Amino acid sequence: MRLNSLLSTSARWGRAALAFGGIVLLTGCDLNFWRMDGHQSTIVVDGPVAVSQRDLFYVTCWVTFVIFLIVGSVLAYTTLKFRARSSEEENAVPPEQGHGNPLIELSLIGASVLALVIIAIPTLKGIWYTHDVPEAEKANAYEVNAVGQQWWFRFEYPNEQIKDVGQLVTSNELVIPAGRPVHINLRSMDVIHGFWIPKLAGKVDMIPNRGNFLWVQADQPGYFWGQCAQYCGDSHAVMRFRVIALGPREFNDWLNRQMEPARTVKAEADRPKAQFASYRTDFKRNEKGWSDKFDLSPLDSWRAQQEPDPKAEDVALILKGRATFQAKTCVNCHTIRGHEGMGVTAPNLTHVGSRTTIAAGLLENNPEQLARWLRHPDEVKPGNKMYHGIGGMAGYMKKDDTGKEVPNIVLTEADISALVAYLSSLK
Amino acid sequence: MDATVKSHFTTKDEHAPAKPLIFWRPTAKTGLISWLTTVDHKKIGFMYGLFALVFLLVGGCEALLIRLQLMVPNNTLLTAQQYNTMFTMHGTTMIFLAVMPLGAAFFNIIMPLQIGARDVAFPRLNAFSLWTFVAGAIILNVGWFLPDGAPDAGWVGYAPLTSRAYNPTHATDFWVLGLQLLGVASIAAALNFIVTIINLRAPGMTMMRLPVFTWMTLVTSFLIVLSFPAITIALVEVMMDRQFGTNFFEVSNGGMPILWQHLFWIFGHPEVYILILPAMGIISEILPTFSRKPLFGYPIVVFSGAAIGFLGFTVWSHHMFTTGMGTVATAAFSLATMAIAVPTGVKIFNWIGTLWGGHLKMRTPMMFALGFIWMFMIGGFSGVMHAAAPADAQQHDSYFVIAHFHYVLIGGSIFALLAGIQYWFPLVVGRVVSDFWGKLSFWVIFVGFNVTFFPMHFLGLNGMPRRTFTYDGNMGWNTANYISTIGALILGTGIGIYFTVMIYTFFKGQKATRDNWDGRTLEWSLPNPPPEYNFRVIPTVHARDAYWYEKHHQEEIARETAEHAKDDEAHGGIHMPFSSIYPLVASFGALVGGFGAVYHNLEIALIGGSLLLAGVYLWSMEGAEGYHLHLDADGNPVEDTHAKH
Repeated sequence: MRLNSLLSTSARWGRAALAFGGIVLLTGCDLNFWRMDGHQSTIVVDGPVAVSQRDLFYVTCWVTFVIFLIVGSVLAYTTLKFRARSSEEENAVPPEQGHGNPLIELSLIGASVLALVIIAIPTLKGIWYTHDVPEAEKANAYEVNAVGQQWWFRFEYPNEQIKDVGQLVTSNELVIPAGRPVHINLRSMDVIHGFWIPKLAGKVDMIPNRGNFLWVQADQPGYFWGQCAQYCGDSHAVMRFRVIALGPREFNDWLNRQMEPARTVKAEADRPKAQFASYRTDFKRNEKGWSDKFDLSPLDSWRAQQEPDPKAEDVALILKGRATFQAKTCVNCHTIRGHEGMGVTAPNLTHVGSRTTIAAGLLENNPEQLARWLRHPDEVKPGNKMYHGIGGMAGYMKKDDTGKEVPNIVLTEADISALVAYLSSLK
Repeated sequence: MDATVKSHFTTKDEHAPAKPLIFWRPTAKTGLISWLTTVDHKKIGFMYGLFALVFLLVGGCEALLIRLQLMVPNNTLLTAQQYNTMFTMHGTTMIFLAVMPLGAAFFNIIMPLQIGARDVAFPRLNAFSLWTFVAGAIILNVGWFLPDGAPDAGWVGYAPLTSRAYNPTHATDFWVLGLQLLGVASIAAALNFIVTIINLRAPGMTMMRLPVFTWMTLVTSFLIVLSFPAITIALVEVMMDRQFGTNFFEVSNGGMPILWQHLFWIFGHPEVYILILPAMGIISEILPTFSRKPLFGYPIVVFSGAAIGFLGFTVWSHHMFTTGMGTVATAAFSLATMAIAVPTGVKIFNWIGTLWGGHLKMRTPMMFALGFIWMFMIGGFSGVMHAAAPADAQQHDSYFVIAHFHYVLIGGSIFALLAGIQYWFPLVVGRVVSDFWGKLSFWVIFVGFNVTFFPMHFLGLNGMPRRTFTYDGNMGWNTANYISTIGALILGTGIGIYFTVMIYTFFKGQKATRDNWDGRTLEWSLPNPPPEYNFRVIPTVHARDAYWYEKHHQEEIARETAEHAKDDEAHGGIHMPFSSIYPLVASFGALVGGFGAVYHNLEIALIGGSLLLAGVYLWSMEGAEGYHLHLDADGNPVEDTHAKH
């Protein structure tokens, strides 16, 4: 090969390597993934349960790391020292044909048992501590129920009884008091789900016909990410939720507001004609549904979401949305307490406008994403029951006589725009 | 001894009336029919190996698709449904169709040679196991080509997700019936191996002289026989729920979904050891050979293998730490799980003890074996972390678990199986893989494997749940996922190199010498490839590393061999079994019946079942006939005056 062609070949390879390196860097990324400080970190955690679990993990980590160092060094030393370096060495007279040494064996077994005891003691302590709220704090514990369904979570507050209605019910965003143990009863309506708020506690499964529970405590007010941890069918990956921990006063304010029926906008005498908003329609399947701004201060974003902004509201459009909600049979599955609808097979939407996410923690709750969700629920959340129907009730689709799916609910862009206005007004 | 005394299983009588045509016994030694009807353990083992490697590649492609989907957040390469199918089939394929049959291939080919036997105890049952395995594999995978699709309920198939309400298509039926047939195949094969090891050992081959690989075959076989009934029952219950509307897991009628998990994992945890114990056996063969000294602490290695098998039945609920078992049960399973670390650690200490003071020959099998020890150690340590139940509550069903069991199953099982393939290739095929290409494939696989799976520890601790087809870009998971996918591509390349070199070697590689690695166990006393009858003369065993002893006591052994050859001839020569078509017929019946059951079609199920029964009946009626071989001292056939064929 001539020199210049060799040079051009190596230049080509060099460029390829550069391009490859560029791709690696372009994906984003900080190489700090080993810090493990994401929204669902089990290392950078909050609250006594997750802290005790993390500390136990550190114990196991250190014990095994020390053993790994010792055994690994011996293995590496042995491999290097006794390696045959030439064919003469390979074919030399075989080494002594020794069969072992019981004393070494027994002492090594003893040492491993000892190492395991170091892990076993905090493990046993941890099992009892993380199992339930400590006896001394039981009186102070707050109780909620979490119910898993394909693919969303319902949260019930048995202590908060609403007159003539029953307990307070919300969905997909669990609000808890900070600085207090919270005892969460876990139930499932269909298949097995896993209830996991990594920053607050390890997961416990929600199993049908089984009364599981777990306890968590958020030491500080905060906004936490949660996710279903047990494979539960098509949209398992996007069955998410949020937990918002609030100080005592803010929590009480929130409770009081939630106990109210749904917010009704005042119909004005000379109400102007509804202005239809138009939203982006070119979402790709799976496209991310959140803004970077939100993450910077999620708790403040949540607080901002609580307050209605009457000036920005189009009253006529909201009223049209309320009618549409009824006309399109949304009311069969969704409850909006104080308005129409008393279905229980779908998330309770009484105060949906005050939540930060929709579609079970998947999309940020803003008009654009809400429109996307209403337009193509099947793309946002494959297999979801709003689209396919549930328990014999039709959704966007229904089964015809042959069992084939045919369209049932058809929403025009005008319908969507009205529904978005209505749902967003339900603060 | 009287020359007229014939071996008792020679049933052919010259004057007996000719048997009806239905009992036709194929005699071809080459060609398709010979492979389909063979009862030779080496041919059967070879086919097990081939099917397993094909499925290893299929499962590997599924894994690559999974990794490509997760390479970047919010990827749209696969839909949710496709992704769920992919991970379900990846797990099921790798466990039941790749690693287990690859283990079975080694059991079949190597174990009889190691104990000085001419075949397994029930050669036709062995063929039945192979073909029933193929039938199960077909049913499991056929969904890819049918409108119902392949199974997508996860490889653990947790009820009630597998019920008709949540999985109305036949995809789950494929999974249920496919696994059911694979279970039948595994149990039949395992019983065969147990009987073989107990009964067909050469004279002098006491239990405490068995090669460790054979010991692990025995322990694994017992695990299979004892654990598969649990999943058989569980699968029957799902089948009944799906097809006849029973209520084992039907919540609305009081069924208990948790029951499935107990039944599944009391199978599933021994299953983990079914996958790893053969690997430990292979490593325990390779390390002494390439260190040129015996295994350090043989009795303790054997005992700890058995202890792992035993304890394996006491820890199933550590897969269920998050199901709310309560404090006492959790504590018990937590401690039992930690206890398993002791015999496992013992094995690692003894392997290092074997290396100590040896002359380590760094050939490809040795590289894989050493890689195994390192990777298995890491996987073992993360296993101990899971044993601490409260910590496991965070790790369970996260990518930390994915990292853990891939370190144990790839870094452990697969590394050992790849080592074993390289190690026994010269014996089985008669060619040896080039050291350069073998080592290159090792290093690429080793690097690719670690780049793929080490970052997953961080992903799991950072809260990424498993079995998720997509994730958001704001969770801090992007980099690790990207690196992991790059690693998977490297790993895929390494596996590609490994098998390309293997195929090349199969056809054109360098010829191996007899006893290519200076082996220690009896299989190396044979020419390569071993003749159909394995041993011209059944060896007499005097020591633990039987062939090593032979090599150092050649005169004594030669004298013994000559005497035994005479005795053998006096018994009528080497008895060889005929091939048979009925194992294949019976397995075909199982395949047809399986399809009938999948489609809830009673007629077809009955036809298949009848075919299966007819196959078994005719197979028992055709008799254990065979013929005799007469060999001279060099192993050349001598004209046989009694020969029927």
